[in-house]
Amino acid sequence: MGKQVVIVGGGVAGMQAALSLKARGAEPVIVERGDRLGGKVAGWHKLFPTFTPVEDVLGPMLQRVQEAGIEIHTGAEVEALVDGGVAVKGGGRFSGDATVICSGFDVFDARRKEEYGYGIYDNVITTVDLERMFNEGHVATVQGTAPHRVAFLHCVGSRDEKVGAHHCSKVCCITGVKQAIEMKKLFPAAEIYNFYMDIRMFGPGYEELYRRAQLEYNINFVRGRISEASQAMGGKVQIKAEDTLIGRPLKMTVDMLVLIVGMKGGASNASYAAGGLVVADNGFMQPLDPFCGNVLSGKEGIFYAGAVTAPKNIGDSLNEGSAVADRVAEYLKL
Amino acid sequence: MNYYDHFVIPFVVGTAFMFAVIVWKWGRWLWKLPVADKKAIVRGVFSLDTLRAIREVVYESLLHRKIFRVNPVLGYMHMSLAFGWFLLIAVGWIEASVVLGTGTPLHAHVFFRYFDTAQHTGWNPFAFIMDLLLLMVLSGVALAWFKRMRSRALGMKRTTKHVFIDRVALTALWLIFPLRLVSESFAAAIKHNGGFLTGGLGSLIAATMDSAVIETLNSLAWWLYSFALASFFVAMPFSRYMHIFTEVPLIFLRRYRLHSTAREKSFDNFQIQACSRCGICIDPCQLQNVLNINNVQSVYFLRDRRYGKLDEKVADNCLMCGLCESRCPVGIELNTLRLNSRQKSIDTPALTRYDYLQGIDRSSGNGKVGYFAGCMTLLTPTVLRSMERIFEAAGEGVWWADRDGGSCCGRPLKLSGEVNAAERIMARNKELFAKHGITTLVTSCPICLKVFREDYNLEGIEVIHHTEYILRLVHAGRLSVEATGQEFTYHDPCELGRGSGIYEEPRELIRMAGRLVEPEHNRREALCCGSSLANLVIDDSQQSKIGSAVTSELEATGAATIVTACPLCKKALARDASVRVADISQVVAENLRVAS
Repeated sequence: MGKQVVIVGGGVAGMQAALSLKARGAEPVIVERGDRLGGKVAGWHKLFPTFTPVEDVLGPMLQRVQEAGIEIHTGAEVEALVDGGVAVKGGGRFSGDATVICSGFDVFDARRKEEYGYGIYDNVITTVDLERMFNEGHVATVQGTAPHRVAFLHCVGSRDEKVGAHHCSKVCCITGVKQAIEMKKLFPAAEIYNFYMDIRMFGPGYEELYRRAQLEYNINFVRGRISEASQAMGGKVQIKAEDTLIGRPLKMTVDMLVLIVGMKGGASNASYAAGGLVVADNGFMQPLDPFCGNVLSGKEGIFYAGAVTAPKNIGDSLNEGSAVADRVAEYLKL
Repeated sequence: MNYYDHFVIPFVVGTAFMFAVIVWKWGRWLWKLPVADKKAIVRGVFSLDTLRAIREVVYESLLHRKIFRVNPVLGYMHMSLAFGWFLLIAVGWIEASVVLGTGTPLHAHVFFRYFDTAQHTGWNPFAFIMDLLLLMVLSGVALAWFKRMRSRALGMKRTTKHVFIDRVALTALWLIFPLRLVSESFAAAIKHNGGFLTGGLGSLIAATMDSAVIETLNSLAWWLYSFALASFFVAMPFSRYMHIFTEVPLIFLRRYRLHSTAREKSFDNFQIQACSRCGICIDPCQLQNVLNINNVQSVYFLRDRRYGKLDEKVADNCLMCGLCESRCPVGIELNTLRLNSRQKSIDTPALTRYDYLQGIDRSSGNGKVGYFAGCMTLLTPTVLRSMERIFEAAGEGVWWADRDGGSCCGRPLKLSGEVNAAERIMARNKELFAKHGITTLVTSCPICLKVFREDYNLEGIEVIHHTEYILRLVHAGRLSVEATGQEFTYHDPCELGRGSGIYEEPRELIRMAGRLVEPEHNRREALCCGSSLANLVIDDSQQSKIGSAVTSELEATGAATIVTACPLCKKALARDASVRVADISQVVAENLRVAS
């Protein structure tokens, strides 16, 4: 019997960490609060920048996890870090020789930007809602019609002093571009607008996709945040913004307003802080340093991987899943 | 007799110096008052206001009634010192006049026991009263001394950190009365002219000391007493004790309706120097008790401003929630003084600024009732939608001032010190209101409400908050609210409650919809949500820290919904709340009773 490692969270980072540790002879135990593995990715439809269906990434991974015989506990929400493991809601405990926290992030609650009308107006939705619609295979307005004009708004809950979020959520720009293209593919006659402050295309193939969005898909990019929205006739949404490139205010009525919601630190981070770990000012967990210590917590036997420490894309999270296995193996002398 | 001894010199010089400085200060401030203020004084002097002012001086400057209300022990401490000393001077003057005759110099009254010429046999009623008064003052000094060491025992968590000149004056003040006791006891040992206290001590001294020693110590004691008085009087006009005399003209001027304004003026000096630095404003300040910021409270702000050392970071770091103003025993207009100290440096808007507003009118609808949502209401559309439903249900024709965008009311600019810039925006809005012929202006934002009421001078237009308006509709039978079994708690917005005196209207509406449970701090004592526009220094995380402290207190009531009546408070409280946060208009709109 190898040494046990508790993995908090069964998203892509957690699964990769478990697979890598298993390969090194440890006995990982995944403690997942949801009723299935896959984390936030499982709720997505297709992945940027290649439009790869989520099943093509998650499917083989889940199969490997199953084949490796990794112990999985779903419906177990970690409540506190305890000596040598974690305590879950309802009284259970999981102990191990090391703990890897891969509990990811929370999605920004768009209701906090009440001025955009999410939860108040018809046809104001978030990127998460839109992915669900893609998955359900039915994208339409609340009135059941096909949208003729759609606006995407970037940076909802990111880089916004007013909601206390100074950080960039990193993946939303490319998400907005990806979803805009998908909408254009679904509704070729529709006008699609992206309202942005900056477009930050950090990954391979991202900038190219942004270029194609403009050249091939004729998607309009307007530099300027939407200041407020209101309900117009027939379930339409009227938006007010400023086009800062031409320096003029603009008003537009759209059939659908998609809020590109950012990432914020997970709600469970507070319980880790109570267990002696450090939460950074931005609400994510603070790794020992952003370089060689990026998967270390600073507390012996506790490690991080994935978006629990900062917004990350799938590739980055998978890399950290592998990297953390390296450091845990070193620690456990595997 | 000329009643002279060398030891009176320090006292006489000190007293003359003090009165010269005070007269010079007051004279200058009065001289520099704007003409309108001078006219107000002339009108007021020969009116009943003067009598009212005299009464207030007795109540506040001598008896300290307001401090008694806030804290009875502190009240006694201040009263025993101020009123006790006043009576010592008054009764002492009568006694000296009776014994020495009128027309004797001032120092002969003050050092009467030393110059006393009467032959004493038997009980002396004056000596008895004077000793009683001295005892009263000494008890105040003892309490003050005790407060320095153990402020919590007197109900203050924190006391003021004093500057050097205050410490000098304070030390002198504490020495005056014990030295008086010693001096008069020695005099009594020689002249047997003491009461139960000084006389008793005098007999003890006479019985235990050699008469030559008594003579020497008597002389020394009177010298020290005179020096203590002189030190206090010289330090006094430059220290916090300037309040002793300054509060008196302040009370009169206030009765003559002089007020501080958004622009600095000479009257401000009377208010600033009437601050006794008692520090009652420190404990309630949320910047202090939540964020541990300790150098910006009103007492420090006024002190820094008085000594010309006011830093922008101190002037700008205030929520202007008004909690300290409501507690201030002197009734200083703390918010206004804070405001006008922000004005100088930045308030020079370019001449063309806001010209683009000229001729822009995006209002819609028609009606005698105008509705001004305000920026924050436009950013919290649930409030706007609720108001639309309420207007519709009541069948009110409404002129919508800014539903489709409008300009700011001007108050945020004013709060940041840009008074001139704010006035330009105000002028535009005023034109707009006049043009559309409304008679009532309803707003959902207490921040707008306050500036409309106080700065706009909207003749012929009544300005009311939506809480007042909705309640009127209900009372007039145009609207009714369905009772639910729900429990609500209510957060008083600063600008609506302390700022505009509206406490009961929202509560009455809530009680129609369900049960109201009050949070620990409510009405005049209510806390600020932390997101006040008036604070230009603290950052978002600090605002949120104040907000979550308030939210926890509201959640502790166990109510299912936190109700407030300000869109800014609503946004601030909703950030950390685990229960629903709703505006009063939402509660009403959701529970409108359908007319049968």
